[in-house]
Amino acid sequence: MMLASSLRAVGVPTTLANRAQKRSVRCEVSENGAGASTATLEKKDRKPSPLQRGGTLQGAAAAGKDASDKFKSMATGGKTGGPVLQMVDGRFEDYRWKGGRWDLSLFADSKTGETSWDDVIDAEMARRKLLEDSPIPCTNEDPVLFDTAEIPWWAWVRRFHLPEAEKLNGRAAMMGYVLALFVDQLTGVGLLDQQNSFFGKVLLHVCVFGILIFRTSSDVERYKGLIDEATFYDRQWSATWEGQERPSDK
Amino acid sequence: MASAIAQQAVAVCSAPAQRQAPRASAKAFVGASVQRKHAFLGRSIVQSSSKQQQGASRSAALKVFAVRDGTPLDRPLRVAVIGGGPSGACCAESLAKGGVEAFLIERKMDNCKPCGGAIPICMVEEFDLPMEIIDRRVTKMKMISPSNREVDVGKTLNDKEWIGMCRREVFDDFLRKRAAKLGANVINGLYMGMEQQGDGPITLRYNKYNEGDKVGTPSTLEVDVVIGADGANSRVAKDIDAGEYDYAIAFQERIRIPEDKMEYYKDLAEMYVGDDVSPDFYGWVFPKYDHVAVGTGTVVNKTAIKQYQQATRDRAKVKTEGGQIIRVEAHPIPEHPRPRRVKGRVTLVGDAAGYVTKCSGEGIYFAAKSGRMAGEALVKASEGGKKMAGERALRNYLDEFDRKYWATYKVLDILQKVFYRSNPAREAFVEMCESNYVQKMTFDSYLYKTVVPGNPLDDVKLLVDTVGSLLRSNALRAKDSKSVNVSFGSKSNEEKV
Repeated sequence: MMLASSLRAVGVPTTLANRAQKRSVRCEVSENGAGASTATLEKKDRKPSPLQRGGTLQGAAAAGKDASDKFKSMATGGKTGGPVLQMVDGRFEDYRWKGGRWDLSLFADSKTGETSWDDVIDAEMARRKLLEDSPIPCTNEDPVLFDTAEIPWWAWVRRFHLPEAEKLNGRAAMMGYVLALFVDQLTGVGLLDQQNSFFGKVLLHVCVFGILIFRTSSDVERYKGLIDEATFYDRQWSATWEGQERPSDK
Repeated sequence: MASAIAQQAVAVCSAPAQRQAPRASAKAFVGASVQRKHAFLGRSIVQSSSKQQQGASRSAALKVFAVRDGTPLDRPLRVAVIGGGPSGACCAESLAKGGVEAFLIERKMDNCKPCGGAIPICMVEEFDLPMEIIDRRVTKMKMISPSNREVDVGKTLNDKEWIGMCRREVFDDFLRKRAAKLGANVINGLYMGMEQQGDGPITLRYNKYNEGDKVGTPSTLEVDVVIGADGANSRVAKDIDAGEYDYAIAFQERIRIPEDKMEYYKDLAEMYVGDDVSPDFYGWVFPKYDHVAVGTGTVVNKTAIKQYQQATRDRAKVKTEGGQIIRVEAHPIPEHPRPRRVKGRVTLVGDAAGYVTKCSGEGIYFAAKSGRMAGEALVKASEGGKKMAGERALRNYLDEFDRKYWATYKVLDILQKVFYRSNPAREAFVEMCESNYVQKMTFDSYLYKTVVPGNPLDDVKLLVDTVGSLLRSNALRAKDSKSVNVSFGSKSNEEKV
């Protein structure tokens, strides 16, 4: 009865509809209660926005795809501290360049935490280019002390030699195969038997070293120029003795 | 009046001729055997080229034969040294010490030749130089790469080793005075030319500057041998058709800087390398007695020397701030010896011959040493001036010099060809100079002028390090780098400006 009176107070008719109403009100009450908790649930459990959800890559894997350091620091308002590869006031400024050296700890690879040597090489290359284009005075207050030997040898090999090595190995293999076929056709000696002959081994060495040394067609001219250079000074010095007998030769 | 004097001259001339005619035929040319000790006025008249004298001489000449090397003389061998710099003065000194009659002809006694002024310590010992003529002793050197990487070279020097910096006017003057004290005749005159009849004596023509004269009086001098020590623009070299050489232009500004900045350069010299400073040489800051000399040089692009100088000044801008330029000077520096350094009884020494090393551009020591060697060769061949000496003795001097210093020149040439080619090569150069072994070898060979082979194991390590350095520097060169590659062969000569 109290419920009915309360219902009447609410203004809900107490007929069959009432029962339905009751049900609905009950539902409403329960819904209200549930709604109230849903409201709090929504505040806690709203679907995350795209910025928060991120992309298909998560965490460190995604961070590896960031834009270059320069723009990263610009976007984060330079929180990583300072200019990147710039000339400020006639001095070279970079947040990783401290006391005339690259601070290797600031080149840490985000995935492994070890120094990313490729980045160090890039930074030094950019610094040299910058200073070559606009030389700055050498001062006692900012001496440059970085030695490229601080970068380990395998970093250099991996970065500069390996791509080239792949090309060269490919060329050598192709040349080797064609020459082996050629020799086989000429002499009838098979590939393995060719290795037994001294002449075959010599040809093999000539071929491989030739490919290593003469990488482009301009190399031939360059080496001829080098030989000329190497002997030019000697010729200039012995010009006086041309056609003459040197006393020390007697 | 003139004819009377001339007739007197002829009388004086022919008298000795008549006295000498009965003696053995191979004798000194008549008319020239004037005693050195008689400084009488008539001497210049006797030697002036008047037609009458020539007429008398020509008739007497029919009796004179060209004197062969090794023939005994009745008066000391006469040698004229043209040019009174280090090479000429040391040559005259050796000649005079050996008993040969030496005439040292210098056009400007207070000449201040533009020069770095650096002398190695072996020179102080070998030439008995007093400490007074050395203004500063440099014990530290800094090499600065194109990217301003700096390396202190000189860590391996002990306190007895240093590079002496001197003023050329003081240095040259000391050497000339010493030569004069030992008996050389120092003449203030400008060499104009020389004539030689066949294989006979050589008649020099020069303008003699008497006291206070603005214009010289034309005079002649008759000698047996001539040594050209007149520097990079040698007149003697032109007269004997010695051939041309490549030369660098060295440009230098002397700057007086404030005391505190001068303190930094008290015993320190700097070497700047880079495309901006010079494409094939280096820029320097050398301390002089109360100022610094900032300069640079180039062979391949001489017209741009002022740009290079500006770049050098810019690189040293902070360290020379507040300085005043007190002098601007330039001079050619030979790059290699002339094709023909001797012709008959005339030879060249010093810069005239082209004895300047590559890479460092050092010339004073080799000039003085070549002058001394030429003098000593003549003294030896003439046995103290008693016999005639000529081309064979001079070729002995050339051979001795070439053999003794060829290794030094070649090593420096290799260094220049490897390390001055491009900016990466220069970076590698500066990086290599960090190592103690390199510094020790470099200074040992510079200070003592001997190429000392070091420990073979260290040499192999050095080679590996060098190759590594060069590879790394070349790898660090950006793809769009505007650095220039210079080559040092014969082809590049045509492209030189």
